[in-house]
Amino acid sequence: MNSTFLLGAASSGFAWGDFLYYLVIFLILLALIKKFAWSPVTEMMEKRATKIANDIDSAEDSRKKAQELAQQREVALKDSHVEASKIIDRAKQNGEQQKTNIVNSAHDEVVTMKANAKKDIQQERQEALDGVKNDVAELSIEIASKIIQKELSSEDQKALVDSYIEGLGKQNGIR
Amino acid sequence: MDEKTQIITFLGIPFNVSNIVSGTLTALIVFCLVFWLSRSIKLKPTGKQNVLEWLIDFTNGIVKSAIPDEVGKSYGLLAFTLFVFIFVANQIGLIIEISFNGYNYVKSPTSSPMTTMTFAFMVLLLAHFMGVKKFGFKGYFVNSYMSPMKALLPINILEQFTNFITLALRLYGNIYAGEVLLTLIYELAKTNTFVFIPASVLELIWQGFSVFIGSIQAFVFTTLTMVYISQKIEKE
Repeated sequence: MNSTFLLGAASSGFAWGDFLYYLVIFLILLALIKKFAWSPVTEMMEKRATKIANDIDSAEDSRKKAQELAQQREVALKDSHVEASKIIDRAKQNGEQQKTNIVNSAHDEVVTMKANAKKDIQQERQEALDGVKNDVAELSIEIASKIIQKELSSEDQKALVDSYIEGLGKQNGIR
Repeated sequence: MDEKTQIITFLGIPFNVSNIVSGTLTALIVFCLVFWLSRSIKLKPTGKQNVLEWLIDFTNGIVKSAIPDEVGKSYGLLAFTLFVFIFVANQIGLIIEISFNGYNYVKSPTSSPMTTMTFAFMVLLLAHFMGVKKFGFKGYFVNSYMSPMKALLPINILEQFTNFITLALRLYGNIYAGEVLLTLIYELAKTNTFVFIPASVLELIWQGFSVFIGSIQAFVFTTLTMVYISQKIEKE
């Protein structure tokens, strides 16, 4: 039992080579683990930590941006409401104006048309009157000339009237 | 236990064969395990990479609790290797024990005071070295031995030796006692058939407890190592 116990080890020879051996083997193990496991793993952990930090930052950024965009959209929406009501107002005004314009112009046109028609009618009447006047004058002249040309018997007078009437019918046919 | 130790002399240096064999085996197991765990490292960890990263986080946590500043990061590898090596060394004696011609070849390397003293010596040497490196020899001396007051100088000097002895013998005592008890229960089981079954159950229970003790001792050793280093490299 005491063969391996601390100072008892000296009785069977103090194996101080173990000390060196463990020192060496532990250092070798340290180096190997560092090369094959520790460095790559800690590097990867570091990388992951920075990546996560970056992701959190960028998420925060995009959240802010989204908020800004939403705000902008809200403002734009409000603006568009105002603009739409403006447009409607303007359209209403335009319509009103156009309406009055059309009514006015129609009124004017009607007035001028009426005036024209009146003028035409007047003219027509004048012309008709003039024509009748001329006829009467011609007729009087003709009758007078016929009376002057010869003495008239009753038969002659009758014939004359007849011929006149005939001539009147002819004249009327010409006109 | 009562086994003889086989000493071979190589280049005039005496080596204990059983320590050499089990130490080499432990180192091999540790290396193969870590090597296997660290294959196909990805940014998004899966399977065994998670295990390895959890282990690294665990030992980094030990370092951080003792040395919180940026300097602590450079001790991560030491803490990790120390923890894994001592953990495997503590458990290996519970799993296999190979005796041949009365010579014991494979056991827990930590059940020999030589091994634990080597580790304790190594880490304390490192602690003192780091202290000197950081403060210069005078600053190191003042920081380590004359604080908080000069009157404590003899106690502080004594403390360096007790630190070394307790660090080494705590680990050695726990593991060695565990193995002694395991062997005793085994001897008890061999005496007659009546006690065989209860002794087997007892052995099972004690083995489970030894696994627990081995894990705790690996943790304690690593923690104390970091505490001792931090005492030397940090101003009190």
